[in-house]
Amino acid sequence: MKRFNLQSLIGPNSATIIFFVLSMVVIPSILPNNYWQSIFSTTGVYVMLALGLNIVAGFTGLLDLSYIAFFGIGSYTFAFLCSSHFGIHLPFLVALPICALTAMASGFLLGLTSIRLRGDYLAIVTLAFAQIFRLLLLNLDAPVNITGGVNGIYAFDMINIFSLKVITPENYSSLIWTCALLVFIVSFRLKNSRIGRGWNAIREDELAANTIGINTTRMKLYSFASGALIAGFSGAVFASFQDSVFPNSFGFQQLVIVYCMVIIGGLGNIYGVIAGAVILTVLPEFLREYGGLRMMIYGVVLVSIMAIRPQGLFSAIPGFTRFIKRPDKDETGKLRASTDLYYSQKNDETDKVKYTKQADTLLKIRNISLNFGGLKAIDDLDFDLHKNEILSIIGPNGAGKSTLFNIISGIYQSDHGKVIYRDKDISFFKPHMVAKAGIARTFQNLRLFNELSVIDNIKISRFCRTKAFFFSAILNLKLNKQEEKQTDEKAKEILNMFGQRLTGYRYHQKVSHLSYANRRRVEIARAMATDPQILLLDEPSAGMNPQETLEITKFIKKLRDYYGYTILVIEHKLNLVKAVSDRVIVIDHGKKICEGSYDNVAENPLVVEAYLGKKGKKGNEK
Amino acid sequence: MEDILGQLAQQAVNGITIGGVYALIAIGYTMVYGVLSMLNFAHGEIYMVGGFVGWWVLQIFSVNHVPVMNAALLISFMIVLSMGISALLGFLIERIAYRPLRNAPRMNLLLSSFGVSIFIQNFVLYFQGAKVKVFHISHLIPEGLRVFHIGGVVISFMRILVIVTCFICMVVLTLIIKKTNIGKSIRATAQDIEAAAFMGINTDKIIVIVFLIGSALGGAAGILVSLLFTQVDYYVGFQAGIKGFTAAVLGGIGSIPGAMAGGILLGLCEAMAVTFFPSAYKDVVAFVILIAVLIFRPQGLMGEKIREKV
Repeated sequence: MKRFNLQSLIGPNSATIIFFVLSMVVIPSILPNNYWQSIFSTTGVYVMLALGLNIVAGFTGLLDLSYIAFFGIGSYTFAFLCSSHFGIHLPFLVALPICALTAMASGFLLGLTSIRLRGDYLAIVTLAFAQIFRLLLLNLDAPVNITGGVNGIYAFDMINIFSLKVITPENYSSLIWTCALLVFIVSFRLKNSRIGRGWNAIREDELAANTIGINTTRMKLYSFASGALIAGFSGAVFASFQDSVFPNSFGFQQLVIVYCMVIIGGLGNIYGVIAGAVILTVLPEFLREYGGLRMMIYGVVLVSIMAIRPQGLFSAIPGFTRFIKRPDKDETGKLRASTDLYYSQKNDETDKVKYTKQADTLLKIRNISLNFGGLKAIDDLDFDLHKNEILSIIGPNGAGKSTLFNIISGIYQSDHGKVIYRDKDISFFKPHMVAKAGIARTFQNLRLFNELSVIDNIKISRFCRTKAFFFSAILNLKLNKQEEKQTDEKAKEILNMFGQRLTGYRYHQKVSHLSYANRRRVEIARAMATDPQILLLDEPSAGMNPQETLEITKFIKKLRDYYGYTILVIEHKLNLVKAVSDRVIVIDHGKKICEGSYDNVAENPLVVEAYLGKKGKKGNEK
Repeated sequence: MEDILGQLAQQAVNGITIGGVYALIAIGYTMVYGVLSMLNFAHGEIYMVGGFVGWWVLQIFSVNHVPVMNAALLISFMIVLSMGISALLGFLIERIAYRPLRNAPRMNLLLSSFGVSIFIQNFVLYFQGAKVKVFHISHLIPEGLRVFHIGGVVISFMRILVIVTCFICMVVLTLIIKKTNIGKSIRATAQDIEAAAFMGINTDKIIVIVFLIGSALGGAAGILVSLLFTQVDYYVGFQAGIKGFTAAVLGGIGSIPGAMAGGILLGLCEAMAVTFFPSAYKDVVAFVILIAVLIFRPQGLMGEKIREKV
């Protein structure tokens, strides 16, 4: 674990550095001929391309089919800026960033229009864009020759970096692999930064990511633009290396090849993706006699990997992913059930300050209504939530309880009425703004980031409380270091609140491997990690056995008593409601039918009616 | 002025012809999307295979480009066999590439369909070559029937054949969907696959049927276009696929009448665009329409807006 921390702070592990140094220095000088030299350089370009696509498709889960077009934009921009085609001869080091930024700007603009679309619609829009781009490349040679049509543009200026001339194939190999190393470091740093975690969250569950304070639209846009930037960068290097650009290098087939690399390597797995790129560029060279079958094989590879190993070929090989401890053993190698650990610990919080319900209101719900078609899900609901109060909302199924939560947390927009938090109208806030303002929620049917580890689930929640941006994350500046440290500490602090149920080896366990009750706890911990004032708990004890329910009851009480959270809880189990609530509100058919202390509410005839139905005529006659 | 009107009328006829074909392709997309919520990217290749099957039928049953049997019979045979083999192909694709992924994330399904598409395309390229296959149909149609002139508008026999066949296909499909038990099951499955299963509908069977119908129509579209332009090559499926998908989205994906309307609308738009822009940009028009619809009205012209359940 220590090694892991070190790794995420300093950078890639030593094996990878050796790999890149070998690639840059040793291999170019020992390759037998120019043919292999050029394959080696091509491999470097594909490594860059695949790493860039990995950011968009792997980290963020966006199916970006215009990726190859950004590669083309980079290439063509380079062709425009460094050749006699337009008579512009910029030095390489000036042209390179311009190419990358042009591609990024195009990516940003395309993303701006389409990033809100759902997964496969985004795929199609981007595919259409890539097609338009290719059609333009092919047809913009008349009436004014801009792109050179089918033949493209060729003969570029020689690269001259501070009077260091890049002429021989060996020089190119070194240059390309240096660039590849740069891309690798960038994507590695991003992956382990708050930005990378935000992207992962979006890939796993976009709505949940939004409710814990990630501006998903913006983050997706950044991801899209980052991918485009790397594609454009690789495109410029590629153009210079080929000394020519033509439309056929940027077609659908190339796109599929890059996708195959990323998918074979495993979406999001940086080392795997590099391996995938190397294998898929070098292997076909050994199978040249079967050249005609190459694309066919790619097709089969795609289908079979999706069916058999969607996580990629390299996901379980040590070195490609972090080794995970046997989940049933703790750090000393002893088998221990977390329940035992939980009950063996001492209760040391009795002497802390106790928070109790206060008079001032924190959240005001004012006459909100919401219709689904003809159904009134919420009908003129109105109540206050006081500071440090535990307010329970009960009511039969379909009464509108979860809908109320969805309105408060910004997922639904109410038709009428206002939600006022600390004298501020938050009715029109998007979910991430609500979270940032200080209201966090859990979901009734659990929306955790299932493929991520417990601690990462919590760390993601720190997104809205940290600031490190691209520069800081990539260069690992002081701000980033500091925040990473704080994020780690805070995440562990919060997980430690749950006894030892979520600590030790559990930190790095995938959430999907946890028991149901533990997942419920992680869901609460994730909400707590956004530093909220108000916690909205949607059926925190659903699916728990009586013992676990008792535990979570105590925990909810503890959250208020010792940590000072204000809690709004939806619950069906009345013993929990009875134990924790200062006040109870009963709603049915979207209307508040009763409000008061638990005992008052329990005796109210309207409540009894809502739960058990009206006393039938038969009953009256008796 | 009259010149332009005449041209517009001519383009309208052309647009409806090609639009009918787009509609047939779009139906395949929309039906599969309806039951599986997936985008069957390989649908375009099914269309391409349909064209190739027709070419082979024509090749086998003609000597020196002269058909050895009755022309009408041969054309029907071409269409029927194209539909049959395309349907079979659709069935196989569903079995091999999509069924194992029934519960996987939709992105995996889409990537898998890319794989299928690339495979079929290159399979055909490998065994049939990259050269365009030409349909020698000059002996299929009697001299006097080849071209009709209706008030300045020229309509070839093949255009009429395409329009009539598309019309028949759509009518038959509508009857199947509306009147038969299978149609009812398909509609139920499209609405809620789990609920349909609980009501005793064998949803696996329905999915297979949907693939069979959709692919058969795709194959029909393939042979019709190949006959119309008298050629086919391994790469036509890609473009046709995107066009068909655009049509499906235009009409509101998931809706069969929407797909029909969307196809014809797209065909008309393209044909009209050719009147005003260089024909090299014809495809750009389709893509721009696609992007615009997805951005401004993603539910399509006839689809309904869906609220995600939280």
